[in-house]
Amino acid sequence: MKRRISKPGEFIKGVPIAVWLLALVAIPLIFTFIMSFYSSSGLVIDRTLTLKNYKLFFTDPLYARILFKTIRLAVAISMLSIAAAFPLAYMVSFKVRRGRNLLFMLCIIPLWVSYLVRIIAWRTILGNRGVINSALMALGLIKEPLTFFLYNQFAIAITLTYICIPFVFIPVYTALEKIPRNLLDAANDLGANELRTFYNVILPLGLPGLVTGFIFSFIIALGDYIIPLQLGGTQGIMFGNLVWSQFGFAFNWPLGAALGFILFIIAVAILGLTSKFGSTEGGFLGE
Amino acid sequence: MKADNAIDLVNVTKKFDEVTAVSKFTVEIRKGEFFSLLGPSGCGKTTTLRMIAGLEVPTEGQILLEGGDVSSTPAYRRNVNTVFQDYALFPHMTVRKNIYFPLKMKKISPSEAETRIERVLRLVNMEGFGNRLPQQLSGGQRQRIALARSLVNEPAALLLDEPLGALDFKLRVAMQKVLKDIQRNVGITFIYVTHDQSEAMTMSDRIAVMKDGLAHQIATPDEIYNNPSTAFVASFIGDMNFVHGTVLDNDGKTCVLDVEGQKVTAKRAVDLGKGAAALVCIRTERVQVNPHRSVENRVSAELSRIIYRGTDYEATCRIGRAELRAVVQAVTWDAALRVGGTVELAWNAEDVIVFPREEEKDVIKYSGEAV
Repeated sequence: MKRRISKPGEFIKGVPIAVWLLALVAIPLIFTFIMSFYSSSGLVIDRTLTLKNYKLFFTDPLYARILFKTIRLAVAISMLSIAAAFPLAYMVSFKVRRGRNLLFMLCIIPLWVSYLVRIIAWRTILGNRGVINSALMALGLIKEPLTFFLYNQFAIAITLTYICIPFVFIPVYTALEKIPRNLLDAANDLGANELRTFYNVILPLGLPGLVTGFIFSFIIALGDYIIPLQLGGTQGIMFGNLVWSQFGFAFNWPLGAALGFILFIIAVAILGLTSKFGSTEGGFLGE
Repeated sequence: MKADNAIDLVNVTKKFDEVTAVSKFTVEIRKGEFFSLLGPSGCGKTTTLRMIAGLEVPTEGQILLEGGDVSSTPAYRRNVNTVFQDYALFPHMTVRKNIYFPLKMKKISPSEAETRIERVLRLVNMEGFGNRLPQQLSGGQRQRIALARSLVNEPAALLLDEPLGALDFKLRVAMQKVLKDIQRNVGITFIYVTHDQSEAMTMSDRIAVMKDGLAHQIATPDEIYNNPSTAFVASFIGDMNFVHGTVLDNDGKTCVLDVEGQKVTAKRAVDLGKGAAALVCIRTERVQVNPHRSVENRVSAELSRIIYRGTDYEATCRIGRAELRAVVQAVTWDAALRVGGTVELAWNAEDVIVFPREEEKDVIKYSGEAV
């Protein structure tokens, strides 16, 4: 799609957006970028430009290891969210006739509850005296509470997946709702049963929504540091925690800025790759 | 229920909750026939088509395809294909892939499929468009591709659901010819749903005229035009005058009626007794104004309005409280006629159709003229 600005004064319309983006995205990013070349000695920030922070990232294997672990977990969480949200969106969009709007609201209602409250809720579900363990003990299946639910990557994955599901559900549902229903009749009429209709028509046409959902959940999972902090325990340190601790505890803002910037670049790269694969504009549905 | 029928509907009924969309529809559609389902919106024609396609399950009755009962066969296993009203082309597939889709579902080998796709693209005159996406085509072109996609598997019958509804008038007329030619070339049975009576009349071998889920008449266009079986059919097709009359005499072959104090003779079997209230119908183009030849029915009337329409004039005349319109070819129109003058209207007794007065409620009025 080629966009042309038709009238000379037309660009005025873009000014508020440009200002907004500049103030809230570009300028903080530039500050972070500059900060990442400073260094910290004690509580003082040394403003001489240095590559020290980046050197540390590339020499100390700890950072790369945690970064890799974080990306892997974020991908896994995105996949889990899609696995949970896609069938849900499919059911609500195609199989339910009455009360669709109500079901849609129920699916996104978790978004109305505070993020922190939901995390605490999961702690009470997974904890030693939590819902799962109490139920299992009441049933007599176990004598001692199981400890592998909480304070590990499993707890992070399950909680973040829960957080991400509405963010996958909404774009997928929207994409599915946009599929003209007569295409399903046409596929059926031309010899495709329900399964083949799904693979040949619904899935490819729902793909843009799926990609958007993946991007949303991936970003949320990649940068989160509160859930690892609350539910991750000692082995649950994510890259977000590293960044956060440089700002919070270590008071090494320049290192935090450098790590944050690295995470940002990786996120942008992965998003760039993903969006090529299935966006409506990228030639998949064509123009 | 002969074996050489393409499709038989036997007492087919479809109810949606308490609403009856189609009621006891029985018809035999012959192989190679161009059969139209005609009626106003909500008459059940599309539901009937969807039941033949397998997209709706009939509540009662049987559907036979080439003699075999397919009432409970799902759409994807029925050897019929549909051209949908808004084409329903897959937006993420090129023209070629759209047409390949039904072949792929039938597991036709790619080389065989390639030959068939080329052949069907040639048939609809769209060679060279194979790599376009549906969005890159005009309405008429999409129509042709939808047609090609439905024909590529050579179905026992092709079902068309108002396929020309979205096109503008000129293109629609052109596409009517294209469709008719294609149907003659491939010899496949076409079942065509439309609300446009002129479309049905020009294209069909036979027409089922439907209203409120009921088939009022199933016959050739000629039969439907000249011998409509109900007042609804008479009003839905062509331009018809409706006036009130009372039966004076009826011997089963000739019926004499009183219309506003003047005698009108109908030469056809009318199932009404003496004194019965009747609805008298005469085609507007069969009414002559001041004719030279002598015909059975002659009434004098007051000319109340003249409309010039290019090829013809429409003259509205008053006979007492009743109104009659006469459509006269412009070349034979008497330019001396003026509104307010008295004229003599005449028509043949064969051209008078009589229905019981109760059917007046079914009459569709296009022009808003009072009966």
